[in-house]
Amino acid sequence: METQMILISYWDLAMLSVLVALMGGILWLQGFTHVGQYFWANVRAVAQLSFMGVWLTWVFYADNPIWVALVGLIMLLAAGYEIAKRQQYRFQKYSSILIGLMSLSVTALVLLVAVLTLVIQPDPWYQPQYAIPLLGMLLGNSMTAIGVGLDNLTRNTKQLKNKIEAQLALGYSAKESMKFIKQQSLHASMIPVINMLVAAGVISLPGMMTGQILAGASPMEAVKYQIMIMLLIATSTAAGTLIAVEMAAKKLFDERQRLHLSVLEKAKK
Amino acid sequence: MQALLEIADLQAPGMRQPVNWRIGAGQLWLLYGPSGSGKSQLLKAMADLIEHDGKVLLEELAADSMPAPVWRRQVMYFSAETAWWMETVGEHFIQSPSAQTLQQVGLNDTILQQHPDQLSSGEKQRLALLRGLAFEPKVLLLDETSANLDPDSTLQVETLLQDYLQQGQRAAIWISHDQAQRDRLACPTYCCSIEELQKTSPQAQEA
Repeated sequence: METQMILISYWDLAMLSVLVALMGGILWLQGFTHVGQYFWANVRAVAQLSFMGVWLTWVFYADNPIWVALVGLIMLLAAGYEIAKRQQYRFQKYSSILIGLMSLSVTALVLLVAVLTLVIQPDPWYQPQYAIPLLGMLLGNSMTAIGVGLDNLTRNTKQLKNKIEAQLALGYSAKESMKFIKQQSLHASMIPVINMLVAAGVISLPGMMTGQILAGASPMEAVKYQIMIMLLIATSTAAGTLIAVEMAAKKLFDERQRLHLSVLEKAKK
Repeated sequence: MQALLEIADLQAPGMRQPVNWRIGAGQLWLLYGPSGSGKSQLLKAMADLIEHDGKVLLEELAADSMPAPVWRRQVMYFSAETAWWMETVGEHFIQSPSAQTLQQVGLNDTILQQHPDQLSSGEKQRLALLRGLAFEPKVLLLDETSANLDPDSTLQVETLLQDYLQQGQRAAIWISHDQAQRDRLACPTYCCSIEELQKTSPQAQEA
């Protein structure tokens, strides 16, 4: 069943980029005002991926755990930064990034190490060929879910301040008073994950599985990997969001369980 | 006389001067003063809902000697604008009020199945009062609790509160802009403006 992977030339990619340029032109003619952003996003994706290609080639070649750790750290920091960037209301003094990093690292990182040492068991366990793509998939999904959950929590707290304070006045704890908002945040962040799981294999062929099949792996083996990834994503998004929402909700109150909206500041656009 | 609630040098953001105040059991104080003079802030600080300087003691126990929720169950703030966070009115009560209790304030018991958004602000104000009284707080901090009520309901609420204060160690502070209401319930003894409060020294309050 092993087949040789067909290689793509740089010339092929250049041809495809002409299509994007063409679409940009059509979008512009149709009155789309963000053509610049559309092009820039494409350029960024190409540049980031090319850089990742060169970088990973080097890391694979060097075979040194320090390089793997460094790549992982950069990915983690970038994910934490992206979470904070997506917030309409941010916590003061980089607390949003910290919440993001904490919730990402105790879920995505822990799961990654567990799955590498206990399930896949490559030799050595930190082999970059496994560690880095897995980390990327876990971080990407957790990042989105955590970002949505936090944004929902802070926006609702700001809007529904009266409903929280009414509960505090009645002698309910900060935790009890935030329950209805936390429920909404978890809902908002988990729905996309649930939709992804439901669509997998029927409506969408997940990227990693497609990649393995293109690279010549048998569909069943590719599917097993994909199932593993899906289960990991389902776990890490849920755990990450729970931790982030819990941490954020706590930060909104002081030691006397008084609500402090002043810890939130509106993101500058 | 020993005070049920004692306030020493209490000041919160929005208040011009610190307040000293002693409130005895059974007393109903009516507080007035122009908008923006810090009346609501004073009550919120007393319930420990906002940051403040100074001390509040209930039966000689300071607010910070107990967890904030325990304090707020005893010194309860009733805000001018009520808020509701569940689907039906009834779900907001730890124990559904009896038809008789509801009738005392001119409400029908079918109201408990309704969504809070369907009710008038006057109905919500009365329900919010009952919702809090169910916890049997010792001190009621009423922020314009009858502002949206018609004259009949206002009298009903006044009677309900006066009955409530008769039972044991209880007291209330009521912010009201209604001169007639103040005369009816408290003046001249237990009537005061926020400016007077802020001028008085703790000794002068002993009377």
